Amino acid sequence: MAASEQTTDANTNVPEYEYPDVNTKPFHIGSFKKEWLSRLKPSDYSYEEADEDAFHANFAREMGVSAETMAELKAVCSVDSLRCHPEDQQPDTEVVPPDPTLRTLVQRKERQDHRASLKKIKKNRHDLYADELERLTIGRKPETVTDMVPEGEIILTINVYYPAVFDKFNYIRPHMTLLMTGSHSLAELRDAVCCVSDLQVCGEFSNTPDVAPEFISKDHYKSAFFFFEGVFYNDMRFPECQDISSTTIEWAKSHNFPSYSQAKMEDTLLEDLKVKVGFPYLYCHQGDCEHLVIITDVRLAHKNDCLDKNLYPLLTHKHRVLTQKCAVCHVFIGRWYTTNDQFAPSDPCLFCDKCFRMLHYDAQGNKLGEFLAYPYVDRGAFN
Amino acid sequence: MDFCGKQVKADCEQLLKRFQRTQSVRFEIFARIWREMKFSQIFYGTVNHEKRKFSRLILDVASVFFLPPFSFQIRVGGLYLLYSLYQCQNASPSEQIRLALKDWVDVKTFEKDAIEAQHFDVVYILQQLMFCKAFHFTATPSLLTYNKKRKVERSPMHENFMERVSRPQELVNIELLEEMDNVHQHYENLKASTLSLTSAQQDPSVSLIRKNLVPQLRSTVVDFYNWQKRKDSVDEEEDSSEGPSSQQECSKRAGLLASIKSKAYGQAAEVSKSRRHRQVEVDFTSNEAPTLGRSRITKPSLKARTSENLHISGNLPVTTKNTTFPDLKHFTPVPALCAIPGLVLKKHAETGCI
Repeated sequence: MAASEQTTDANTNVPEYEYPDVNTKPFHIGSFKKEWLSRLKPSDYSYEEADEDAFHANFAREMGVSAETMAELKAVCSVDSLRCHPEDQQPDTEVVPPDPTLRTLVQRKERQDHRASLKKIKKNRHDLYADELERLTIGRKPETVTDMVPEGEIILTINVYYPAVFDKFNYIRPHMTLLMTGSHSLAELRDAVCCVSDLQVCGEFSNTPDVAPEFISKDHYKSAFFFFEGVFYNDMRFPECQDISSTTIEWAKSHNFPSYSQAKMEDTLLEDLKVKVGFPYLYCHQGDCEHLVIITDVRLAHKNDCLDKNLYPLLTHKHRVLTQKCAVCHVFIGRWYTTNDQFAPSDPCLFCDKCFRMLHYDAQGNKLGEFLAYPYVDRGAFN
Repeated sequence: MDFCGKQVKADCEQLLKRFQRTQSVRFEIFARIWREMKFSQIFYGTVNHEKRKFSRLILDVASVFFLPPFSFQIRVGGLYLLYSLYQCQNASPSEQIRLALKDWVDVKTFEKDAIEAQHFDVVYILQQLMFCKAFHFTATPSLLTYNKKRKVERSPMHENFMERVSRPQELVNIELLEEMDNVHQHYENLKASTLSLTSAQQDPSVSLIRKNLVPQLRSTVVDFYNWQKRKDSVDEEEDSSEGPSSQQECSKRAGLLASIKSKAYGQAAEVSKSRRHRQVEVDFTSNEAPTLGRSRITKPSLKARTSENLHISGNLPVTTKNTTFPDLKHFTPVPALCAIPGLVLKKHAETGCI
């Protein structure tokens, strides 16, 4: 305990809690990586499987124990000594054993029995998605060595929350989780965030339904910024990008707030950041679509991680929202939103692309009747 | 998976409690308890992506016990627990144990202590975990999502797992006392010489310090230590079983000296409050008073409070009592009288008709 004290003041890049179990004090991610690497042997974080016999021989030599003691130690500490069932029969690990005594198991058994007692066995859609996502992401190895995430690389876990614009979202915190390496830039993080407001199409297209997809907001309004620890990181990759943070900065200046600075998103690597882990920051795009961003974890890469560089930024969790279906077929997700529509059962009304065209246009694509049609992007479009 | 966190913690504590009772740091003993409790089964019944989540949860819960402020024996238990859970988990590829940068020093000192005390199984298992790359080298012990907790719950079990506080003893050691004594004497001499120069004899305004500071300090520390020992023996037979050699040195030093002042003590060792009260002569930290007061003033039951209030109103002059009651008597029956006769009459009428 005494030893940990002396390092804290001397080194600010050892993450310490600002509030216990809530968030840390700000630290520089690149220096944090160096701190770890300076403490570890390269073999500690290498992806290679080390030789077990060499390990045992080494251990015996360092501790100065004889071969017999070593053999005994190995036997005593082997995983077999933890086995809770007879050697010849393999238990079924899918079910909770009968008459459990551990409290966790008692609880799990209750839940399992409850599920079994339900007449209709529902397979939770969210579970299915999560299973699938896990299959896609866990422990993927690259085909070529050049695509390998280098040993000792930093991996950050970043949660991007959906803007809280629906009442529902006040009770849960829907978000997506991305894994990124320290050598990614913030611009790459921006591109990895999928938000339906980027796909919105503004305008009425009942006369020209075919050109609508060409007008999505992402291509029109490219400005965006991240806000970390008093710095606005603006996206300035394209000539039409504007510095949308300047309004805030000037306002803050005129109201005697501490001054904020600016930087470019594309020039900032994640490992250049000085941030608090667990602290909510801001991502703002499309003018006012605001997402909370929390860096939940920073760590060194491990051999069980997805090691294919090309798969990063890696999506590991995504909240699925209910989608609005077409009013006609009830199968496909709504793509068109019509008003003043004489064919529609309600006003406004949602249609999928196919039903919309069948109902509102003749075979040549001529508009039939009077209505206003707006492209609709469902908020579950990224499911 | 948050819903089973409490149960997992309780199970881990139960295992460690049994391990603590054996007063041993041998892996053999731990493994026996593990088998007796059928602890491997804790992973059974999780399916698909739940496996990974559950492994994550239980490893996070268990890794707390591997770090200070727990006693050496509990930390060994925590290490064994991590090792066993890591090896028995059914997620594949396995989920890793999280080790924060700030805790690295503690792990290294722990390893050093274990080597010095020749606990080979402890060292072996720690190095085995390192060898099979069971650790994630992280910034924080758990993933942080800015979850502010309304209230922090502390398990009562944790206090039993902690080591006896030895900071006061470490702080006020014999060298310090000697040093202080020297400084004190030096000061006294200096003062005496200046006084003799000015020939002002025994001016009370000059003697601002305590005369017998060092003996006093020493005796309080010893008192504290004795009290700690007494408390321990009452509390149930506690740790002080097997530990690193340095710990024994600690207690030797502790035998000589100790101190109360350290505020850290006040927080760390939360003795049941009633007992603290009995030990007032030793335990006189200033922040004691409010907690003591609060615990003693327990709110009386509603019944008691009502009867007390009634008792107070009963003290009112007798005349008012007499006047209110007849009033009430007069008031209440009136509506009743109005209502009931009508009903009765009606009934009479009905029966009369038939």
